[in-house]
Amino acid sequence: MALALERFRRVYGSFTAVDDLTFSVRGGEIVGLIGPNGAGKTTTLRALAGILRPTSGTVQIDGHDLTGDPIEAKRRLAFMPDEPHLFEYLTVEEHLRLTGRLYQVPDIERRGAALLSELELTGKERSLPGELSRGMRQKVVIACGLVRDATTLLFDEPLTGLDPIGIRKMRETILSRGRAGAAILLSSHLLHLVEEICTRVIIMDRGRKVADGTFEELASRADLALAGSSLEQIFLKVTGRDRPEPQP
Amino acid sequence: MIGASLYILICSWRNRLRVRLRRLREPRYLLGAVVGAVYVYFAFLRRFRFSRSGSTRRGGGSLSPPAEFAAAGPALTGLGLLAGAAAAWLVPFNSSLLEFSDAETQFLFPAPVSRRSLIVHRLLRSQAGMLFTSAVIAVASPAFSGYLRLRVAIGVWLLLSTVRVYFTGVTLARARLAAGGTRTRRVAWLPLAILVAALATVGATLVTGYRPVPREGPDLLRLFAELTGHGAARLVLAPFTAVAWPLYAAWPQPYITSLFASASVLAACVVWVMLSDGAFQAATEVAADRRTERQVAESSSKYQTGARAWTLAPAGRAEFAIAWKSATQTLRSVDMRLVLRLCAILAGLTVAGMAIGNDNGFVAAAGGVAAGGALLWVLLAPQAIRLDLRADLEHLDLLKTWPVRPEAVVRGELIWPVTLVTAVAWGLMTIGIALSGAAFPQYRLGTRLGIGTAALILVPALALTQFTIHNAAALLFPAWVPLGTQRSRGLDAMGQRLITLGGTWIALIVMALPAAAAAGILWLALRFLIGPGAFVPAAAVAAAILVVETVVVTELLGPMYERLDALDVERAE
Repeated sequence: MALALERFRRVYGSFTAVDDLTFSVRGGEIVGLIGPNGAGKTTTLRALAGILRPTSGTVQIDGHDLTGDPIEAKRRLAFMPDEPHLFEYLTVEEHLRLTGRLYQVPDIERRGAALLSELELTGKERSLPGELSRGMRQKVVIACGLVRDATTLLFDEPLTGLDPIGIRKMRETILSRGRAGAAILLSSHLLHLVEEICTRVIIMDRGRKVADGTFEELASRADLALAGSSLEQIFLKVTGRDRPEPQP
Repeated sequence: MIGASLYILICSWRNRLRVRLRRLREPRYLLGAVVGAVYVYFAFLRRFRFSRSGSTRRGGGSLSPPAEFAAAGPALTGLGLLAGAAAAWLVPFNSSLLEFSDAETQFLFPAPVSRRSLIVHRLLRSQAGMLFTSAVIAVASPAFSGYLRLRVAIGVWLLLSTVRVYFTGVTLARARLAAGGTRTRRVAWLPLAILVAALATVGATLVTGYRPVPREGPDLLRLFAELTGHGAARLVLAPFTAVAWPLYAAWPQPYITSLFASASVLAACVVWVMLSDGAFQAATEVAADRRTERQVAESSSKYQTGARAWTLAPAGRAEFAIAWKSATQTLRSVDMRLVLRLCAILAGLTVAGMAIGNDNGFVAAAGGVAAGGALLWVLLAPQAIRLDLRADLEHLDLLKTWPVRPEAVVRGELIWPVTLVTAVAWGLMTIGIALSGAAFPQYRLGTRLGIGTAALILVPALALTQFTIHNAAALLFPAWVPLGTQRSRGLDAMGQRLITLGGTWIALIVMALPAAAAAGILWLALRFLIGPGAFVPAAAVAAAILVVETVVVTELLGPMYERLDALDVERAE
């Protein structure tokens, strides 16, 4: 398994954000992680990226425990957050160089130039983050994530801030990485995106996994049979949002 | 709207307090709060206890200034306020009361509330800061009783509020000056014209009164009180004197009267601002533009793209990649041409100083200042230069994803600030050594060179030790580290600063003791063989011990960094 989460739990003070979450993603799989606001998706992704420590449970990347063997686990991982965090004093080119050095990426110059061209950032190599639009900064973060051969890719709302061309390219990039054998976990509220590119979907609600399977598997589940075949209907059904709001 | 404003303010204060109280559940922050409370008690509150026991009767204390000053004080302060009030029209700043936060702009501007209500909201929001300032000034004042301090606090609060509201009125009036309509512009000019006339009146009275006989000291004050105590000068100074009056008035009747007078001036200013609300839109737009410009300047323009650091090699140790990142930050925020020019000037002056000779007092002073400056720099700069984990905790989300040994991250964060501090200290020391013949003529050349070389050797080790301690404190108390322009507040934060300061010095002494002991023994053993040259191997041994100690400490800090959770760092509230 490229990515395996076992009985993951994360608590903030007295609030349990994620509880007893177990799932895995194989190489070549593109898994959509969806759920209503506050379901625990971002907490899960941030814990998978090594930013948050699990309160309990284990996270393994390519068989390397993220807590016990963090360096090897992180080397295989690329996390693209929804909010682009960049060093405001490094240029686009220097961000790629730094990433290449830290992740020991061979031939960073060529790879970086190709990626910048692919993401339509050519000409912005010497720009500082402050001189870029939000969408461009998002693309820089994506470029830093894709410039290395990570076996596991984590995307948190990957389309936020991107223009239509960027969205199309991003979609193609995710699909091509998946076809190349990377394990991809993608969190998004855009259900049509998830439906279009994901091979499997995990639905979370109130910190717990409430559904996990391919669209066909979910649609054929006895309790979801009446929900219909669209992901939106299934999502509303499993999260209990399909019932009408009680009248005051 | 006042209800809504109070709701926003009270909820914000309550929630901020709640966050701080919740943080105290952790023993380390509780310890900080205890230390902060002890400090507040001994620094401020204890004075109340002593002042109460020293006071003869409640409210009976007095500042007891000299009689001349007590008589002239209100008018003197009033004259200062009058001059300030006129100058306020000329300064190129606008009132901060017209600056609204992003949330306020987003929620309140589109809301169906009047512009006057928005001004009232900002006035209310500014009260916390002014009350705090008034309290601090009152506590620090040399009063003999708590009640007198309360009186001072009320007086200061009235004064600060009046000044603030007046400046808001000036900002609004200036906005109206640019508006169309002759009548509007005339009305806006009116207060300035009145102020200029008032200044001229007082000025003429004082010049006429002082000219016949030159006076000094108490006489000067007595005459000032006389001249401003009657006639036209008294009349034009009256509103300004009234604002300052509560600070000087005796208890009880004069003080109560002074409060009414001061509050009346404040009320007049508030009314003036409320009547100027027509210019509110233009003034807030200017304020918003300025705020945006400032934010852009803070976020991007302070770094210059053109200023290139060296190119990072594609392979190598992670520590140096992190150091390169920090160095790039410095090189992009500093004008290197200016630095090089400064270095050239200093080098030229040093050579000139050496050429002038050892008998020149200026050269001696320059040498002494350079040597002393180097010492102060080495001891204080690590506290102020935060190009290490203290700054990079802001990027913790990114740092935590790097496949780098945590110990290497900690060491990488130390390399550049140590290099920077060392470079500056070495520069100053070189000047000090070059001019040491003039600055320290009592020592022979050999001794001066020995001590100087030893100091050069010790500097990087001392800087490294201090930065290690500061970063250890940042990892131990991440929520106390202010990120970006944010400043930690609260009792626990105050305690934190004391703990960090005290802890740094104690840790530095503890870490330096073995080094000092070894260096001392070596110096004693070698001084009879090689004389002042013994300082050099002694310093080398001390530096080596300090470096080894810091390497050990960074190894211990590694797991601490690894355990650090992104949520341990407190984001801006």
